[in-house]
Amino acid sequence: MSNASDIPFAKTTKYIGAALPRATAKRFLFGRGRYTDDIEVPRMLSAAFLRCPYAHARILAIDTTNARKFPGVHSILTGVDLARICRPWVGTLTHFAGMKSAPQLPLAMEKAVWSGHPIAIVIAETRAQAEDALEAIQVEFVELPAVVDALDGLNEHSALINEAAGDNLIYATQIEAGTIAQAFEDAEIVEADFIFGRHTAVTMEPRSILANFDPSTGRLDVHQSTQTPYQFQDVYARHFNLSEANVRVVAPDVGGSFGMKLHVYHEDMAVVGASIISGRPVKFTADRMESFASDIHARDHRVRARLAVSSEGILRGFDVDDVTGVGPFSTYPRTSVVEGNQVVRLIGAAYRVTDYRAALRVVAQNKNQMSQYRAVGHPVAFAVTEYLVDLAARKVGLDPFEIRRRNYLTQDMYPHTTATGYQIERLSLEICLEKLHEVMDYAAIVAEQERLRRTGVYRGIGIATYVEITNPSPAFYGVGGGHVSAQDGCILKVTQSGEIQCMISVTEQGQGTEAIIAQIVAEAVGTDIATVRVFTGDTDMTPAGGAAWACRGAGVGGETALQAGKKLKKRIVEVAGAILHCPAHHLTLVDGRIVDAQQHTRMTLRELAHLSYFRSDLLPAGRPAELTVAHHHGPSGFPFAFTNGIHGSLVEVDVETGIVKILKHWVVEDCGTVINPLLVEEQIRGGVVQGLGAALFEECRYSASGQLLNGSMADYLVPMACEMPDIEVYHVETPTRDTELGAKGCGEAGTAASSAAALNAVNNALSVFGASITQIPMTPERILRAIGAVG
Amino acid sequence: MDITGEYRIAASREIVWSALNDPDVLRQCIPGCKELEAKSPEEMDAKVALKVGPVSATFSGNVRLEDIVAPEGYTLIGQGNGGIAGFAKGRALVRLAEAGGHTVLSYEARAEIGGKLASLGSRLIQSTSRKLAGQFFDSFAAHLGGKRATADAPVSAEVDDLELIHHTQNT
Repeated sequence: MSNASDIPFAKTTKYIGAALPRATAKRFLFGRGRYTDDIEVPRMLSAAFLRCPYAHARILAIDTTNARKFPGVHSILTGVDLARICRPWVGTLTHFAGMKSAPQLPLAMEKAVWSGHPIAIVIAETRAQAEDALEAIQVEFVELPAVVDALDGLNEHSALINEAAGDNLIYATQIEAGTIAQAFEDAEIVEADFIFGRHTAVTMEPRSILANFDPSTGRLDVHQSTQTPYQFQDVYARHFNLSEANVRVVAPDVGGSFGMKLHVYHEDMAVVGASIISGRPVKFTADRMESFASDIHARDHRVRARLAVSSEGILRGFDVDDVTGVGPFSTYPRTSVVEGNQVVRLIGAAYRVTDYRAALRVVAQNKNQMSQYRAVGHPVAFAVTEYLVDLAARKVGLDPFEIRRRNYLTQDMYPHTTATGYQIERLSLEICLEKLHEVMDYAAIVAEQERLRRTGVYRGIGIATYVEITNPSPAFYGVGGGHVSAQDGCILKVTQSGEIQCMISVTEQGQGTEAIIAQIVAEAVGTDIATVRVFTGDTDMTPAGGAAWACRGAGVGGETALQAGKKLKKRIVEVAGAILHCPAHHLTLVDGRIVDAQQHTRMTLRELAHLSYFRSDLLPAGRPAELTVAHHHGPSGFPFAFTNGIHGSLVEVDVETGIVKILKHWVVEDCGTVINPLLVEEQIRGGVVQGLGAALFEECRYSASGQLLNGSMADYLVPMACEMPDIEVYHVETPTRDTELGAKGCGEAGTAASSAAALNAVNNALSVFGASITQIPMTPERILRAIGAVG
Repeated sequence: MDITGEYRIAASREIVWSALNDPDVLRQCIPGCKELEAKSPEEMDAKVALKVGPVSATFSGNVRLEDIVAPEGYTLIGQGNGGIAGFAKGRALVRLAEAGGHTVLSYEARAEIGGKLASLGSRLIQSTSRKLAGQFFDSFAAHLGGKRATADAPVSAEVDDLELIHHTQNT
């Protein structure tokens, strides 16, 4: 609920909550962005990869003799060369009991397990020369039967991807709460089978890495387009047996990541290995086709779900089966089972449901690896939930808003533990619902829909609730043995002229992390934001921390910055007190000025810094001015800070072409304390667009033999500006009490339920035909099939 | 992916048949053919340079002839490895029919492609296949009679192989 007294800064703040444009945006407008691929170093070599064209094949022999003679070629490495220096990685975590996944090495060894699996790396003076040499590498393959469909992979006669495992089941789990049989007894039951296609991140900047190993010192310098540099510092040190203190990972400007750039990729490990072996800097940047064939894919779920509802519209129980195909192995170090796990745990989270059963099977298949991508599991969970809730509403004759009103968790119920065990501090579901009802002008658009229907225009209105996991504690990965940090660290130092430098472990990929950290630091220290400079993404410079994942930058990183800033302010005021012979508690900092209780400026921060650094002889004896502070903060209290919100979608379905036009999209979101509404709104809008892409356009299509059929921007459809509607965003603020800042995450909220809202809207439009669609993307062909217009 | 086509060639069936079995003729008529060597009357090794959209590759492969019924037709089974471009494999049923002194050649081919070639999508592959088949038969007819072959029926290409394994996606 929006409650001003809960927001510690609401009345007094200058920067927290302010709609400030981000200072760093100017750099990009000036064309001064500096991405990994922009970096050139002396003696640098370029890498290109030979990839397996088969979905599943045994490798009998690799002959690189001719290719080595090509101009510019420095060397060619195959699986065995890199296996000598790289410890295999296994994408399992112990808290997912019983999960199994084959050990991975940088390049395929005796067999390749997806079409695109790297087999050899050529390093040459230029990328073009490296690619030319690829042509001359001879590989003797024996094609093997491929596991393409996840359900087929579970057949006992299926080909095996990981023979040692004995089957293709990577992980299975079941959840049972309450008495599901009773819940379904004498209830109205609605059910559906859903298909969620694979899609992928399509970042504007593709993956890129430049590894530079110095054999004289054992020092490894890596520039990488990643969101989690500390994680890669750990991975490279452990898997290549290097001193971690000697491994530096820098993330320069990163052009989008969305979870895609925090997984370990074979190419990255091969490039690091190639630099170690060659003693030369080696760079690799994926081209767009390589991105489609090797960037993680997302989703790929088939869900069968049932919902029991009483005749009064009270939800009684969910019964869910999810089968997800994740590619040939589980991704490292975060696994490929988190998405499925969140699907079966988030379904129904917004509702008062205690009877719940769900089963999850995570299956290996000969496709590109599938793993965490923006809103991990949420879009699937909420499409299933919200579709069934709408279906239930129709069954018992309630309006979609009304059935939610009757079943949401309400303010008197917090803290609340869901049927699946999630602990929720506080949500604002009913407030967001009413706000959406108002801003959509629901009655008016329903009336307009009915009027237009009579003229043969089919509009649909859909709403979809989300409850989102943010600010994760180590419950996510750390408890399972994952080397993934859930805390952050921040160093603040006052420069010689009294400006502030902030080195913080959260990272920037275009979402504005550095902007909000500057706002928080300026606020907490009490100085002018123009004098605060934030540095991120360099493991040599910033404290170790979690960086960017699971919507933690504002909530965890922001609280770290806030406490660091308060610590620095205290230090500054103490130094000022010593200089001014005034008790420190009578002084404070305002806009970079030290003021006393009467609001008189006693000195500026600039003067204080000048004295501290250049005239330390004038400071009281034994009281050096320690104008550098460090602070670390890890989430405590609730394991996750759950956020919530609701999406509304208005669409028009052309029943002759099957094309859906999205007319408008609304989001009412609650991410706790809003640090910068402009950035929250842009995060939401970007997320909505990605969700609408999944709903209507984006799909990695595979042939029956496991070949990716649309690995280029000509064939893989992404939403473009002209297809996107106006997206209106509204805020409700329910700060978490686990931190002083009160901020929760907002980066995934847009994606979490926009596809669900579009699904419900299209189905609302199709309802006049007695038709429904439960597969995304909702392509024109599938819509025409759903209404029976084509066979 | 299924590709079918039919061509009318201004030559007798025997002449067409003999040309279809002549490595020299095939070498000259196959677009981009760099090498073609008969290892036996039923088997040939070939190197063919092709460009599909942005992907250029030299395919090394072999072709085997089966079910040979001279001069009526045969089944051609081939596979080629295009290095970084991927692979292509398939079979084609080739039939020759007499038609008033001319010959009508028809074929039904089923091809499977993999790697980069596949990920380019069916659109380019089909149009390229059509173009290559057209070029081949033009050269072939020119070689035989100095005239262009005429396609009796537009070459059609269907996307059987491109159906997704999720059958529900197509229903």
